[in-house]
Amino acid sequence: MKKKWIASLLTAAMTASLLTGCGGSETPSTATDTQDTAQTAETDNGGAEEESGASDEGAAAEESAGGDVTIKLFSNLPDRKNGQGLVEQMIIDEYMAANPNVSIEVEALDEEAYKTKFKAYAMDGMPDVVSIWGQPSFLDEVLDAGVLAELNEDDYVDYGFIPGSLDGFKKDEKLYGLPRNTDIMLFYYNQKMFDDNGWKVPATTDELLSLCEDIQAAGITPVAMDGGDGWPMACFLTDIMVKVAGINYADIVSNAVATGDFTAPEIKQATQILVSFADAGMFQVGYDSQDYGTTMNLFTNGQAAMYCMGSWDASMALNEDIAPEIRDNIRAFTMPTVDGGKGGANDIAAWNGGGYAVSANSAVKDEAVKFLNYMYQPDKLSKYGWENGVGMSAQDQTAYLTGNETELQKQIMDILKNATSVSGTPINDCGPSAFKTAIESEIQGVSNGSTSVDDFLAAIGAACK
Amino acid sequence: MKENNIKIGKIILWIVLVMVAVIQLFPLIWLVDFSLGSSNEMFTNGLLIIPEKIRWDNYVKAFVDGNFLHYLKNSVLINTTAVILVVIISIMAAFACQRMKWKLSGFVSTLLVMGMMIPIHATLLPNYKIYSGLHLTDTIWALLIPYVAFSLPQGMFLMTGFIQSLPKELEEAAVMDGCGIYRIVFQIVTPLLKPSIATVAIMTFLNNWNEFMMASTYLSTPTWKTLPFSVLEFTGEYSSNYAVQFAVMALTAAPAVIVYVILNKHITKGVAMGAVKG
Amino acid sequence: MKKLYSNKPIIFSLVLPGLLVFLFAVLAPICLSVYYGFTDYTGMGEAHLVGFKNYATLIHDSAFGRSLRNSLLLAIGFICIQHPLAILVAAVLDKLQGKAEGVFRCIYFIPNVISVAVIAYLWKFIYNPDFGLLNNIAKAFGHPGKINWLSQQNAIWSVLIVLIWHGFGWGMLIYYTGIKNIDPVLYEAASIDGANWWTTFFKITLPLMKPVIQINVTMAIISALKQMETVYLLTNGGPNNSTQFAANYLYQQAFKAFKYGYGNAIGVVFIIICVLATVALNTIFRDKQEQREK
Repeated sequence: MKKKWIASLLTAAMTASLLTGCGGSETPSTATDTQDTAQTAETDNGGAEEESGASDEGAAAEESAGGDVTIKLFSNLPDRKNGQGLVEQMIIDEYMAANPNVSIEVEALDEEAYKTKFKAYAMDGMPDVVSIWGQPSFLDEVLDAGVLAELNEDDYVDYGFIPGSLDGFKKDEKLYGLPRNTDIMLFYYNQKMFDDNGWKVPATTDELLSLCEDIQAAGITPVAMDGGDGWPMACFLTDIMVKVAGINYADIVSNAVATGDFTAPEIKQATQILVSFADAGMFQVGYDSQDYGTTMNLFTNGQAAMYCMGSWDASMALNEDIAPEIRDNIRAFTMPTVDGGKGGANDIAAWNGGGYAVSANSAVKDEAVKFLNYMYQPDKLSKYGWENGVGMSAQDQTAYLTGNETELQKQIMDILKNATSVSGTPINDCGPSAFKTAIESEIQGVSNGSTSVDDFLAAIGAACK
Repeated sequence: MKENNIKIGKIILWIVLVMVAVIQLFPLIWLVDFSLGSSNEMFTNGLLIIPEKIRWDNYVKAFVDGNFLHYLKNSVLINTTAVILVVIISIMAAFACQRMKWKLSGFVSTLLVMGMMIPIHATLLPNYKIYSGLHLTDTIWALLIPYVAFSLPQGMFLMTGFIQSLPKELEEAAVMDGCGIYRIVFQIVTPLLKPSIATVAIMTFLNNWNEFMMASTYLSTPTWKTLPFSVLEFTGEYSSNYAVQFAVMALTAAPAVIVYVILNKHITKGVAMGAVKG
Repeated sequence: MKKLYSNKPIIFSLVLPGLLVFLFAVLAPICLSVYYGFTDYTGMGEAHLVGFKNYATLIHDSAFGRSLRNSLLLAIGFICIQHPLAILVAAVLDKLQGKAEGVFRCIYFIPNVISVAVIAYLWKFIYNPDFGLLNNIAKAFGHPGKINWLSQQNAIWSVLIVLIWHGFGWGMLIYYTGIKNIDPVLYEAASIDGANWWTTFFKITLPLMKPVIQINVTMAIISALKQMETVYLLTNGGPNNSTQFAANYLYQQAFKAFKYGYGNAIGVVFIIICVLATVALNTIFRDKQEQREK
């Protein structure tokens, strides 16, 4: 059902781009605008093509007639056919269909590459609408430089944003961006694999360790961990620290960042637990050098029993590229409790991280804000995201519950509903970007045993000064 | 006895050569092999697979979604332009420094060749600043200027050597006939430099064809992106489909390999000539 | 003739394009780097002059030290592994006559024409512990597999293997040309004296190849210093900076850690090191050559 609905939505844009696409690439001397539109649209036609073969030439004429306003969107979602990227592209196509005079050019890069390029852009000339993160490591310097446009908070009273979710996007009470998701750190697991082998979801870290032993004995990788990028492991450390320190997590971390002293017993204990996990062979061989895609594929191809990542990857449950016997059996649980830790089972690592903002120097600022507001209409990002299995948005989604949600979505919803406390910003994003760079590199060294815990804590402390 | 030795020697010789050839080629065969299967077939213990069904549609996806034709066209256009500019500029400058009489000829010549020592990546940061200040980012100039600049020293160096070895008599005769300098450079000297031009062109092309650091720093929209971007962008888009990723890699590598195999004699000659001199 | 050949405006017009390109694309960025190297510029906002602070930090920066050490390691790897192999194969190839010679030469060079982007991703897959080619080969020889080729200890060697593999054809080709340029009369004389292949190789081929070897060694060291692309895509300097190289590090510092000024300071030091290395190598080799000629 859902698939057909998406397909019909994309059809118009697709057929339009097929025609303009050919014209555009054959005549490079014509205005770059036309060509860029063609290129942008070309990216999304592959997916639509597979899903529906219908064609509608009327849409083509409409599309090529426009081109008065070009909005450049810089996005951290390169996969335009699944999950969040698909949702973003759907809204773009819908917006362009509704506003024929507007064309939206997308440049999409992987998170790491995105952040690098974003900083390069920040020097001179940012694209009009950009993905951002409402976290100090990213936003502080960006806002100091004044490259983002101020938004009018009153515009969003009816948008249903969850209380507190806008806080990370503000500076001096002024709003500069809007959050896209509520992210929760999760262990995804393959329920069928668990049932077949008689494995149980662990309630404590000790149980987790002995579970990993059992899984290893069966010749399977216990947890797929994207250690090559550094940030997922830092989020993982945050998750452990929440179980160790409970609601004190945020205070301990912000204090450590401010003083450059990371020797607090909670931080040290959490790091030691992380090291003990890695020592026990919990992660796949070579986890500290593998990237996001490789790690996720390990899980989605049945090579790993669990996969540690944020709730945004819940769209795996609807990803057609994943074999149904795996896709339908993905479930999730949160970090088990630590013996003697202050955090309970329902104190979770969650935050409002990613979102969008408008460039302060955009030549089409008004149009860009209009598009931004369109995206955040409750029945757009939030609704489409829900329907495509992309975890939780930062807006009230109760109106869009259909009863057809995947089991995984229901689980995540319950986790958030039952939460007694949420952590806020993960540790690597709490300091300046020099700190972020340092901890994301050093954490590889401490987990693989080449740096001692004390040296690790000293090194990340030094990066705060 | 001796004949036997020679035979054994021959066999060893062949074994060594074939082994090296296998090491050099096998990863590429592996690449093509897996690009024709499905992603699930990757998780095998075998070295190669016989795909259950040959999936040409991997290549169709790679071709269409990888923006292959557009990027290939950009690559060809930018590289050809860069080669032409490097050849012309280096002939002109080399002639002026080598043949003509002026005080600073030695200094300018050294200055231009010295660029060879500068690590190209050290200029990424300041050049980004300069290009964005002049609104050159995301235009063809953002690639052409550095490509020409960093191939010029080598071109200049090679051309100086080649021009030096040309006999002066022809030019003297041309001067007698009343030729101007420009005509001497472009109509008398340039045709004599044909093999050297080929060398400079090949070296420049090989240097720049595969470059992507500058391209990914200075470009943002697909308008001028070059062939390596097919791979760079694709791996993000199709992170969960290995077979298609393999297909796009094979496809991206193909044009250069095909051209190389066809022109292999000329290219190896050119490289040998350039590298031994350089 | 003389008058024509010393016509200043014409000379000027001939060297102008070259000079302009040099000034704009080489000299200007270097000057800018020197300036920003003295500032605390983050990439946005304002730049403040901070004197030699960046350079003082750089001296104690262990990651930068690591990247220089890695360059040295790489250079040694090139010189001790790639080049002996390349010379040997070139000498063996020289013995082969007919079509096969051309075919092998062609095959050896193929990796060289393939984009670094493809090479790096391809080797990422080859090194993958779960389905990578290398582990499957290890399994075929009875090893349990699951070797972590890109671990903190192994990664730098794995990077070295990729670079040796990628650049092998180039080195081989140059040695091959050098060998072809050796006067065949020398070999004939040797074979009349009853010298076998190894003796001729050590007594005639190697000594006569010295200038070519020197050029190649210089190029190897310089390219080890300048290494960036393969590492950027294969490991991005990780795990924990174990495969860091100067060029990659300055890029990361400027665009990731918001230390544009510091990145430029690294750039300046990096340029100085490269220039010094080139000059030093040329001087050493030139002196030796001159001595021999005397």
